[in-house]
Amino acid sequence: MMVAPMYSTIFQLEQTIVAITLVAFVFVLSPAAAQTQTLPISEAGETAAPSNRFDYHAVRGRRPLVSRSGRHEGERDFALLGKSRVQGLKHYGDQWSGGAHLLWDGSVGATMETSFDVESEGVYDLAFQLTVASDYGLFEMSLAGTDVKQSVDLYGPKVELAPLVKLKDVRLKSGKQSLSFKLVGSNPKAKKFQGGYLLGLDYLQLTRKDQPQSDTNAFDPTIDRSSVSANSPSRATPLAFNELKVTMNRFCYRCHGGGSTEADVDLTAFTHRETLLADIDTARKIRDTLASHEMPPEDKKQPTRELRAQMVASLDAMLDEYLSKHRSSAPVVMRRLNRYEYNNAVRDLLQLGGDIYPLPEKTIRSNAPYFDPASGRFPAVVHVGNRTLGKNQVERQILTGVSPFAIDLQAEGGFNNRGRELSVSPILLESFLKLGRSIVSSPEFDRYCGSTNSLFAVPNELTLAQQSDLARERLSTFLEVAFRGELEATVLDRYHRFFVQRLEQTQSFRLSMKDVVAAVLASPKFIYISESAASETESRLSGYELANRLSFFLWSSIPDKLLLDAARDGSLAQPAVLDAQVTRMLEDPRCQALSQNFARQWLRLDQLVTAVPDFDRFPQYYSRIGCEQWKFGLQTMLEPLLLFESIMVEDRSIMLLVDCNYAYRSDELQSWYDDKVPFAGRENRERFNTNQQLFRKRVLNDRRYGGVITSAGTLTMTSAPLRTSPITRGAWVATVIFNEPPPPPPDDVPPIEADDKVIEAQGLTLRERLQQHQVNQSCKSCHAKIDPLGFALENFDAVGRWRDAYGSGLEIDASGKLFGTREFRDVVEMKNALLKHPESFMRAFCEHMLSYALGRELGIADEPVVEEIVARFAADHGQFSTVVRGIVQSHPFRYRAQQIDTKESK
Amino acid sequence: MKRYTLSRRAALRGTGAAIALPLLDIMQNNWCHAASDVAPPKRAAFFYIPNGVVQSAWNPVDTGKDFTLSPTMQPLESIRNKVLVLSNLDRIKVAGTDGHAQASTCWLSSAAPDELSPAGYPLKRTIDQIIADKAGRETAFRSLELSCNPYEDNRESVYFDNISWYGHGHVARSLRDPQDVFNRLFRIDQHAASSSILDLVMEDARSLRPRLGKLDREKLEEYTQSVRAVEQQIQRVRKRQSDITKLNPEAPIKPWQAMHRDEFIQVMGDLMILALRTDLTRVATLMTAPERWSSPLKVEGWFDKPIQHHGWTHNQQNEDVRRQLEKLDRFHMEQFVQLVQKMDATPEGEGTLLDNMMFLLGSGLSSGELHICSNLPTVIAGTAGGQRQTGQHVRYAEGTPIANLWLSMAQVMGTEQTRIGDSTGVLKEVVCT
Repeated sequence: MMVAPMYSTIFQLEQTIVAITLVAFVFVLSPAAAQTQTLPISEAGETAAPSNRFDYHAVRGRRPLVSRSGRHEGERDFALLGKSRVQGLKHYGDQWSGGAHLLWDGSVGATMETSFDVESEGVYDLAFQLTVASDYGLFEMSLAGTDVKQSVDLYGPKVELAPLVKLKDVRLKSGKQSLSFKLVGSNPKAKKFQGGYLLGLDYLQLTRKDQPQSDTNAFDPTIDRSSVSANSPSRATPLAFNELKVTMNRFCYRCHGGGSTEADVDLTAFTHRETLLADIDTARKIRDTLASHEMPPEDKKQPTRELRAQMVASLDAMLDEYLSKHRSSAPVVMRRLNRYEYNNAVRDLLQLGGDIYPLPEKTIRSNAPYFDPASGRFPAVVHVGNRTLGKNQVERQILTGVSPFAIDLQAEGGFNNRGRELSVSPILLESFLKLGRSIVSSPEFDRYCGSTNSLFAVPNELTLAQQSDLARERLSTFLEVAFRGELEATVLDRYHRFFVQRLEQTQSFRLSMKDVVAAVLASPKFIYISESAASETESRLSGYELANRLSFFLWSSIPDKLLLDAARDGSLAQPAVLDAQVTRMLEDPRCQALSQNFARQWLRLDQLVTAVPDFDRFPQYYSRIGCEQWKFGLQTMLEPLLLFESIMVEDRSIMLLVDCNYAYRSDELQSWYDDKVPFAGRENRERFNTNQQLFRKRVLNDRRYGGVITSAGTLTMTSAPLRTSPITRGAWVATVIFNEPPPPPPDDVPPIEADDKVIEAQGLTLRERLQQHQVNQSCKSCHAKIDPLGFALENFDAVGRWRDAYGSGLEIDASGKLFGTREFRDVVEMKNALLKHPESFMRAFCEHMLSYALGRELGIADEPVVEEIVARFAADHGQFSTVVRGIVQSHPFRYRAQQIDTKESK
Repeated sequence: MKRYTLSRRAALRGTGAAIALPLLDIMQNNWCHAASDVAPPKRAAFFYIPNGVVQSAWNPVDTGKDFTLSPTMQPLESIRNKVLVLSNLDRIKVAGTDGHAQASTCWLSSAAPDELSPAGYPLKRTIDQIIADKAGRETAFRSLELSCNPYEDNRESVYFDNISWYGHGHVARSLRDPQDVFNRLFRIDQHAASSSILDLVMEDARSLRPRLGKLDREKLEEYTQSVRAVEQQIQRVRKRQSDITKLNPEAPIKPWQAMHRDEFIQVMGDLMILALRTDLTRVATLMTAPERWSSPLKVEGWFDKPIQHHGWTHNQQNEDVRRQLEKLDRFHMEQFVQLVQKMDATPEGEGTLLDNMMFLLGSGLSSGELHICSNLPTVIAGTAGGQRQTGQHVRYAEGTPIANLWLSMAQVMGTEQTRIGDSTGVLKEVVCT
């Protein structure tokens, strides 16, 4: 566990001059979106008024006015005016870009108006891709501000793409371009559609002809490692060690010394500065409990403010001394791919059409691809579902005969990508062996595999010897990608020899190559992410090794060709190239792995799967069909993930994960939040669709909602069937939001009634009941930290819906204190307190992500690195890509430490 | 190779698993050439209950042959002459780590309390694996690890979900899906198909090794060990090919997700018994459920609503809760007894499968209420071919290490171990004098 200094506000955001591109953005309002309830937002006490607070909604990625591909999608990048709407076209075939187009209809004489954006003035070639069909009309197209006028006949006997309409050398000004299509008539063969004719616009491709000006906003990746200290400079003067001992004698030894060693801490053991330095974890713990006013306990004698600061300063000095001597961080242990990564790696290696086996890890399911990070825009409406919502709890196979191995469990407070927890046993090896074989031999494989021709197909007329040569040539390319490293001749020889043996036996190039691929998929070179031992205390990663870390961090998969090229020619070592790769990778749909693999685990969302709010007490959690198998409430699992994805795609501030003025919800989910019965309203077509729902972006005018802490999914999974569980909620907030997981619960956990009705019948609130139980000091000091975080959420019931009072009418006390000093009265004030110290959440987020990126636990030696990243992160107001770049450029990400002994950081 | 007689009457009585053994006749006629005086092999199996048991309902009041069965032990009545109940066996708890993770992970651990793994608790090769080092030399599978963990929410870490370890950081992962278990045991073709690949990937591992650091080499060792294990397995399975083909058992069809709790445990138990009686393995562990894992659990036919086993254990001062918990303990005991009865209904040699087994029921905690590790609940059925004095309750001196039991079992199973973990000697009631 890494505990970061809580009180050190590195950045006074209010005083920082905001130098980012502010892009006004518009919320798409759906009829059901407006929430009328408002809560008076009290800004008393120390919480800042909203006007003083930085608005994190203003942070947004430089939204490309021209999408990066230069392609304006009809369904996405054109203004939908009048009768224009989006039509999905998957059922007509896969030739439409994005699987959809913009559709309009009208009567002869009417005009379809729309507009699109152009980033900078210049000369462009335009290519319009339109759709033809039997009821499409004859149009006159014109582009305002240009002399473009073009007649287009969209009649066709069947629904398909029209020939491209190409316009050369058109000068466009920057900004909005008005485009219109006037319906002037029809082809004689065309039939009418509702008295008129239709138009379909798939996309517009813009190609810049003149030389664009260079981008002066390029990211400067150089870091001055010396400029940021590990700990913010303490203003107080450190005490000499003897003075520190005298002070500890006065304030600490009574409970933590000699005879009495509360929490197994005996401070009298630290007789010399050196003995404390040797136990740096304890030194860190003492420092943090002092700094956060956790110790001495409130009812004990307190040091003066100044003395406390001096004690902290003394310990800071010791920490700095330790860190100056222990720069290198803990070694990363070689690990095998987990189940999710193995799927992605095989998919990308063989260019498969999709997954190899069903993955419950992929919480969000969608038949219509919506995740397009290159566009820089997250759609306002997404058609998504949740595997666990449907009736079919048992997954169907994707490839016949291919079954996954068991899911890899998360480390305590961490992720499932750590070497220590990822073992290989005979059973697992059997799985890998079987997987390789069953994948290539499944009947669907040849159709599913994009490299069928480049890898398995062979011209008929080749002799066996020629086939052998051809195989060698193909393998030299394939094995480099599969093993993600420089291909040694001995390895190529070995696999080629194996191929030749198989060829002699089978006489079939295809079958022999499949046997080779099956072996590759079980090889340690494929299933482990391995790095060469460090030659000294630490050494720089090779290009290939860095490429591996990058791709498994951002894609949970193997490096692609472009990344391997940069690894091979050594250019990846250059900061600018590395940064450009990060940019490219974040614009690739594969980075959805950060949502599916990182965010899901970080938020511990899987826990919702087994949540069973009491069926009688919370019938609305279940579908109205009255069947416990259909948990309507599982839809709530999508809300925080969609928020995360929107932040990622639009490169917004991660502070929106704490406080956000929008949320993605289905109509059903919205009415459920509004305390209406879901599945009401017979006119709703989605009523019985438990597999897919339309999730729309909704404006939230009410700060009680928004963000992951107050989303129904997380609130439900941290509750018991018949009541909330503030301690579980508090522990979740401490772990997820602050990365300060509480220590394991003690053995003598006192019992508490399972039903809040029973507690309230005694005239007690849950809070009062829990407080009765904190019998001794060690309970109190720990719970003083966890509980307020959970009680702040007490206004949300066990399925995450707002309540003003308990069922019995008893009042809810949601007040507490954050960071030891910031008092709050309700959840909105708690959010304010969090926003007032944004670096706390940013640091925690950064630590979670760094630990995920490295595949190991963090230790004290990583703190300076985290502080560096957080410094930049905070300066960018928590912009998502900043933390990703900071991690990629950080020292521990680019270097590996020597593996000296088996003691790993705890 | 020596073989012992397997009776045709030994049909399994699964509670819903479609494992029919119609071809036992063929099996008997063709498989058992050995002289009848060859003693059947000894086997050891472990049945794990998470979160401890209610102490007041568990502990028998008296000892000896005519001891009174405690309330939770009532289901043992029909087999009381075949079991040994042992009290006062302890494990030393290590402070500072989670009590439940320790309960599962360290229960069978052969590490002494002061031999800490990097995870913070004593974790080394577990006793089932030590036994398998010897007893697994001849069988197709060196050991079998099973779990009836029904949770799909990944709530807990690997330490809560496994009782069998090759060493610290190297888990012997259990199989959770009866269909996977079945395929592994009986789908011979799957094993053979891999053999051509093994040499190749082993070469890869060898070429990888010199470049790696110390910890990485330890990790790679897991891979090479597994390759060797699978190689042996393939060879041995091949030898058994004709038997297994003739046996032709029917795979369980029903998905485990659709099974009731008792059905799930019994089907897994049936597969375990099938593997033991066909001598495909001689060592097995079966977790009825993982430790802690506070997700609600359905126990159909016993409880109307999903139960919270872990939550209940901390709330057992409440009489209603305690009664529910006692009922759950009874449920587990009944599952155990049913499996013992199945073993005892499986004739083998002069006696039954049970006579040639040690089938142990236990938990890593005695009481879940305070995470107590002393007086761990322990029942052994079967004598493993010995003259053991079953049918009694033995109460050892307070503080007797449970490692003494592991050492005794290891010796019965033929290992040369003289010390395991913090063991101080053997239990004479177990090592059959």
